Amino acid sequence: MVACLLVLSSGAAHAQAKWNASGFGTVAAVRSTEDQGDYTVNPNSPGQAGHSKAWAFDVDSRGGVQLDVQLDKRWSAVAQVTQEKSVENSYKTYLTWANVKFQATPDLSIRAGRIALPLFLAADYRKVGYALPWLRAPVELYSLMPIANSDGIDASYRWNSGDVKHETTLSLGRATARLNKDVKGKARNIVGITESASSGALTLRFTAAQTLLVVPGAEELFDGLRAFGAPGEALARRYDVAKRHVRVFSAGFNYDTGDWFVIGESGRINTDSILGDQTASYLSAGRRFGNLAPYMTYARLVANLPTNTSGLALDGLPPDVAAVAGVLNDALNFQLRQIGAQDTASIGVRWDVAPNLAFKAQADRVTPRGGSIGTLINIQPGFRSGRSFSVISLGLDFVF
Amino acid sequence: MNHLHRLFFFSLYLIWYLCPIFALSSSSAQAVELAVIVSVRSEVSTLRADQVADIFLSQSNRFPNGSEAVAIDQNLGSPLRDEFYGKVARRSPALIKAHWSRLIFTGRAQPPAEVDGNAAVRKLIADNPGMIGYIERAALDPSVRAVLIVR
Repeated sequence: MVACLLVLSSGAAHAQAKWNASGFGTVAAVRSTEDQGDYTVNPNSPGQAGHSKAWAFDVDSRGGVQLDVQLDKRWSAVAQVTQEKSVENSYKTYLTWANVKFQATPDLSIRAGRIALPLFLAADYRKVGYALPWLRAPVELYSLMPIANSDGIDASYRWNSGDVKHETTLSLGRATARLNKDVKGKARNIVGITESASSGALTLRFTAAQTLLVVPGAEELFDGLRAFGAPGEALARRYDVAKRHVRVFSAGFNYDTGDWFVIGESGRINTDSILGDQTASYLSAGRRFGNLAPYMTYARLVANLPTNTSGLALDGLPPDVAAVAGVLNDALNFQLRQIGAQDTASIGVRWDVAPNLAFKAQADRVTPRGGSIGTLINIQPGFRSGRSFSVISLGLDFVF
Repeated sequence: MNHLHRLFFFSLYLIWYLCPIFALSSSSAQAVELAVIVSVRSEVSTLRADQVADIFLSQSNRFPNGSEAVAIDQNLGSPLRDEFYGKVARRSPALIKAHWSRLIFTGRAQPPAEVDGNAAVRKLIADNPGMIGYIERAALDPSVRAVLIVR
């Protein structure tokens, strides 16, 4: 993709290509009072606040640089790399955006290449802290995204009905899905449609997306279950991850008068497997007083399936077979407990210190629910679901 | 846990109600009248503030009559620019910056080109019927048409 950009740029040098370099970053320190697990924004970018570190700098800190080139009135290209925490527990560079855009008309644009999926309101700019009113996008919803960006095409069309402005985007692509530290899969045939409508201070947004998720590595568990006949087959049918249609729906609104705002959103990701079926929602409100913008948010994540199963019946099985069945049941239940349910109440403030610099402070009260670990990772034996804990975060966001 | 809850709600109260006391008023003292302008050769005659804001914030690439619109900004940090966005889009410079961060870092759009001063903006707009800009009202001349006066 970068090579492609270079070729494009050299070919169009005489056409007065316009180059733009820009960047963004966040440096944030996070403290959590739950020492039996680590607080993180996303399992794919594991933060270490709580158990591993008293103050963790890796929960939200990241940086990105971007190069844009406008070749002529219709053609442009963008490449963005970000430096952020990887599942290998070190900072790593990712190519997050790399696409070529063709502006067919003032209303219709088509992009090809690597594109962040606009699954939720802030999904495609959630890493740009400066662009957010909060210290971070609500983790209940935004940690559900296993696919950050997809390689493919999208088309956006702007249209009007009366005084309402619409933008409808159709996305097609494929991606590598990082589900957690150990599980990596492929998302094929991603199809998504996003409709956004705005009138005055109000914007409404809807997204529906589907992909075929292929996750290898769990054959042992599910083949093991199938060996137990009809009851095992039924469990494998319900929970197998080998090849599943994952569906995503979300609806959100943003009402922003400039002086105050209310943002609300609800999203559901159904993997139709042991990886979960969850719905997350949040409601946030804030006021702006000069350079200060305090806000509060309530977010809730629920599991739409029981997070435990009785599994295979052990009664009447010979002892050695029952032992195998017990191990399989435990493995199923261990995975089901990873499907988080949680709620968080947050307050915070954004302080625009300088034109390109925002300081943010946020306090969260987090409660993992229903026997689950919520959005925590690196769980220790002393962890108890249902016990509330506090998270304090201080951060600086900048753009250049 | 009870004291933690109380602390939580107390700090909520503090932030929500005491912020305005510490916030510095950012409204400019000596506001001038602004004119949003197009070329006299343009067919656009009048625009509402929200239509102007949509074009300058890349929410719309067209004038209401359907013709293509290209916005021209005054220099970043100029008082005229801050007043324009404050009154037409009801957004502070920081909010405008956050808005552009969302568009730039998702590859959707780049901010308008910047031109230094009333005379240079007026000349560029006068020569390009598809463009729209803003200048001090006192700097109006027959080469451009005011489509909105901002007080």
